[in-house]
Amino acid sequence: MDQLSQHIVNALMLGGTYALLGIGLTLIFGIMRVVNFTHGELYSFGGYMIFLFTSVLGLNFYAALIVALVLGILLGAVIELVLLRRLRGADIDTTMLVMIGCWMVLQNTEQMIWGGVAKAVVSPLPEEPLVLGSVSVAWLRVFVFVVAALLILATYALIHWTKLGKAMRATFQDRDTASLMGVNINAINTATFALGSGLASAAGALLGPVYLVTPTMGNLAALKAFAIVILGGLGNIQGATVGGFILAFAEEMGAGYISSGYRDAMGFLMIIVVLLFKPTGLFARAERIG
Amino acid sequence: MRRTLPYLWVGFLLSVPLWLHDQYFLHILITTGIFTITAMSLNLLLGFTGQLSLGHVAFFGVGAYTSALASLGFDVHIFGGFRIVHQPWPAVTGFAVGILVAGLCGYAIGKLSFKVREAYFVIVTISFAEVVRLVALNWVELTQGPLALNNIPPFTIGFPGLWEQTLWGKVPNYYAVLAVGAVAHILIRRLVLSRIGRAMVALKENEPLATSLGIDVTRFLVLAAVVSAGIAGAAGGLYAHYIRIIDPDIFLFIYTVTMVIMVVTGGKGTLAGPLVGGIIFGILPVMLRPMATPEAQWIIYGVFMILIVFFLPRGIVPAVQDWWQSKMGVTQAPVDGARTGGRL
Amino acid sequence: MAQTWMKAALIAAGVSLAIGGALEAANTIKIGVNQPLTGAVAASGNFVANGAKIAADEINAKGGIGGTRIELVIEDNKSNPTEAVAVAEKLIVRDKVPVMMGAWSSTYTLAVMPKLMEYKIPMLVETSSSDKITTSGNPYVFRISPTSGMEAAAFADKVGRLKIRKADFLVVNNDWGKGAADVFQKMLKDKGVVIGVVETMDAAAQDLNAQLSKIKGSDADTLFITTAVEQLTLALKQIYALRLKRQIITTGGSQNPDQLIEQAGAAANGTLHLTTFAPWFPGVSPNPEATKAFIAEWVKRGNKFAGLTEGFRGYDGIRTIAAAIAKAGKAEPEAIRTALWNTQLTGLNGKIAFTKAGPKGKESGQSIPDVYLIKIDNGKVALHLR
Repeated sequence: MDQLSQHIVNALMLGGTYALLGIGLTLIFGIMRVVNFTHGELYSFGGYMIFLFTSVLGLNFYAALIVALVLGILLGAVIELVLLRRLRGADIDTTMLVMIGCWMVLQNTEQMIWGGVAKAVVSPLPEEPLVLGSVSVAWLRVFVFVVAALLILATYALIHWTKLGKAMRATFQDRDTASLMGVNINAINTATFALGSGLASAAGALLGPVYLVTPTMGNLAALKAFAIVILGGLGNIQGATVGGFILAFAEEMGAGYISSGYRDAMGFLMIIVVLLFKPTGLFARAERIG
Repeated sequence: MRRTLPYLWVGFLLSVPLWLHDQYFLHILITTGIFTITAMSLNLLLGFTGQLSLGHVAFFGVGAYTSALASLGFDVHIFGGFRIVHQPWPAVTGFAVGILVAGLCGYAIGKLSFKVREAYFVIVTISFAEVVRLVALNWVELTQGPLALNNIPPFTIGFPGLWEQTLWGKVPNYYAVLAVGAVAHILIRRLVLSRIGRAMVALKENEPLATSLGIDVTRFLVLAAVVSAGIAGAAGGLYAHYIRIIDPDIFLFIYTVTMVIMVVTGGKGTLAGPLVGGIIFGILPVMLRPMATPEAQWIIYGVFMILIVFFLPRGIVPAVQDWWQSKMGVTQAPVDGARTGGRL
Repeated sequence: MAQTWMKAALIAAGVSLAIGGALEAANTIKIGVNQPLTGAVAASGNFVANGAKIAADEINAKGGIGGTRIELVIEDNKSNPTEAVAVAEKLIVRDKVPVMMGAWSSTYTLAVMPKLMEYKIPMLVETSSSDKITTSGNPYVFRISPTSGMEAAAFADKVGRLKIRKADFLVVNNDWGKGAADVFQKMLKDKGVVIGVVETMDAAAQDLNAQLSKIKGSDADTLFITTAVEQLTLALKQIYALRLKRQIITTGGSQNPDQLIEQAGAAANGTLHLTTFAPWFPGVSPNPEATKAFIAEWVKRGNKFAGLTEGFRGYDGIRTIAAAIAKAGKAEPEAIRTALWNTQLTGLNGKIAFTKAGPKGKESGQSIPDVYLIKIDNGKVALHLR
């Protein structure tokens, strides 16, 4: 029982960041129809930014988190403006090839700048864990969970209550009509890619101090984000949120009670099964956003 | 000219070990050859059927592991007290089994490509490769996991009792790769030049039309997937018995990406494309090595791939062919279907 | 456009050949170094390589070996056994090195070993501790690091004093981790200690909560951990967050205690580590002067103090190889192999001299270094139970 409640708490803490990763990716796919191979690189970019600003430049940890988010948004915008804008109307495969090329450039640039040795980020949160009965959890994990939840809520709010969000939803439903109604599709694309990238970068910055920052940390994160997005249905934000938690629970329980080695396999097995039996994802009504 | 070119090319490749004695360059040529074969097999899916299968490395790895395990033997416990003990087979038999198992995986993926499409298909194929990697990593009793499968025997060919030859060293392995490559090339060529293949290629962009014209899309797609996976599995077998050690990292996404780059830069949907791409990206890293670190090289390749997609979307081979034609004053306009047909 | 690229490629090829030629013209003795410079255990590999460079520079500053400079050819095995083999092949076939040092992890070293037999090139093993390396009958292997068995033996007399009654294990799932778990379990059982849970982890795994939650369910008093410093840091932090109150003992000598103090903070407090070099106490080294000089040079080059416990192995390894080449009088594989058997020098952690290990007729060389148990106490390192 103690072990079970500990697993549940671990899964909850992990699920928040997974959801954050998934939402960014699903937004980009839903609105832009881009299978974004750079998502994982934005995640590791966030990790390196928090390392750069805290451990190297000595900036306050919390300020560094905001900087990582903002820089992630900027990098996303740059990728969209330089590469994706030219590819509007191109087929999905072509876009995918370009994004794979971009993934290679980003990852190896990171490796060139930072070297292959893993970086550790020290957080200012108390080292003594939070103890609730038989369960204990590091304060850092709690903090990460809270920030992730806030970012998810902020994204919801942005999509539901702002003019930009409205335009994004309109674009998602019918790009051509939205365009005719005066929505600037280019601007929407840039905003979407920047937002999604910012969320990935934030996830990396949040998990950097929990784990280690390495040039290849984004690879597995990207695959997991894909799994989450498929579980929830491509373009479905609520689905991605729930999908993030489902994946975290599947991994934690699988690792705890089946085999720790297959922890990372859980997500992939799940998406293969889901796609075989319910190809539109677990929560698909029709594909929709919001 | 066009008729004699392939023969000249084959003659040249056959003669390489006669004048190139540098062991390291031979080693590079062997590994380049193996990856070129995988690129050829990927091209069958990517170029000729338009299925962006990004888990292709799984077939390569499955071929390598199956062949290695069949020729090393294993002793595995399944549930309860049930055990599977396998006595080592000759490497060549293992190689054949590897092709078979990889082909079966290809069959599954081929069938799958009708259930899930586009982005979903891409992600399922990537996930498939990742699951296989994790199994190879964690089923330690069978695969040795991160300890790697070591001391894989080299190939022995010939007839027992009459004449036998074990492929130690570079030169025999070079010819083995060349032979498998030639067989693979002929197979792919026959498949895409068959009636159904030509029709499929011509109508790649328009599957409903193809179906309505009575072309058995299902059959061609599955056949292409099986042949493609089998060839990738054969390349995996060659790799395992030449390098003589394999570990789960053989399933990493980066190897699929390498194959994709070879196909896309060379020219997807052309028979010569993956050969050109394979040779460029097999040899280039060695040439660039003194000047650029591996990271810098990968950055260059990434940029290169983006540029190719933007400026030469059909790849190098078709671009060179067009240029050649315009220079020769050939007026015949390239027809999509014929483009793949008449040329090597 | 394609034509321009062809031209560029041809020019690139030409330039690379020219550069290659120029380098080969200089007459040096090449020593191959096969280390993980990127990937899961990159921190350690880079430290070993940096230690090796100090040794090479020191030797060259004194005029090299018999007037010929030595040149290290350092290659990255990417923390992967197949890459380790590819690196060995490249070093032997392309760079034509007569001797190598490598390959850090036991798994990488074991992977490379058949290549040594194939090409008849000796290799000095500087870090790997799996017993298998010197017992499999490979006469080209010479090891200066202690085997897990030697560590366990050195630890045996401390079992009672540390009041170990029941022990769990958390080890990396490769030759090193599993080998260490085996020999330590055997030693502990001989001492009457009960063995609890034995959990493994992939070298690249970062979330160990599942394994640790299982260990939390055991009623053992001590937890043995074997892995490299990156994963060890994570394990200690996660153990602390789970309030897993155990006596923690790590094996293998790749813990970089200062790095643990810096990055794991309070989580590293009270942990015990078996190590083969104690740079905090140069006085206990058999060669205090050399040790101090090495530490000074290490720090002067901008290396982290924490990396010394890895770096010294690269330093000792290259010095041993150089001594063997000097003794052999020529840089040829077979001569170096023979000379290694008769090479003796004072390393930073004990006398280096090779004794025979493994099957008769094809013995491997094994040196017997010192092993220390250290404790991290309030952010400071102390020798424990000497």
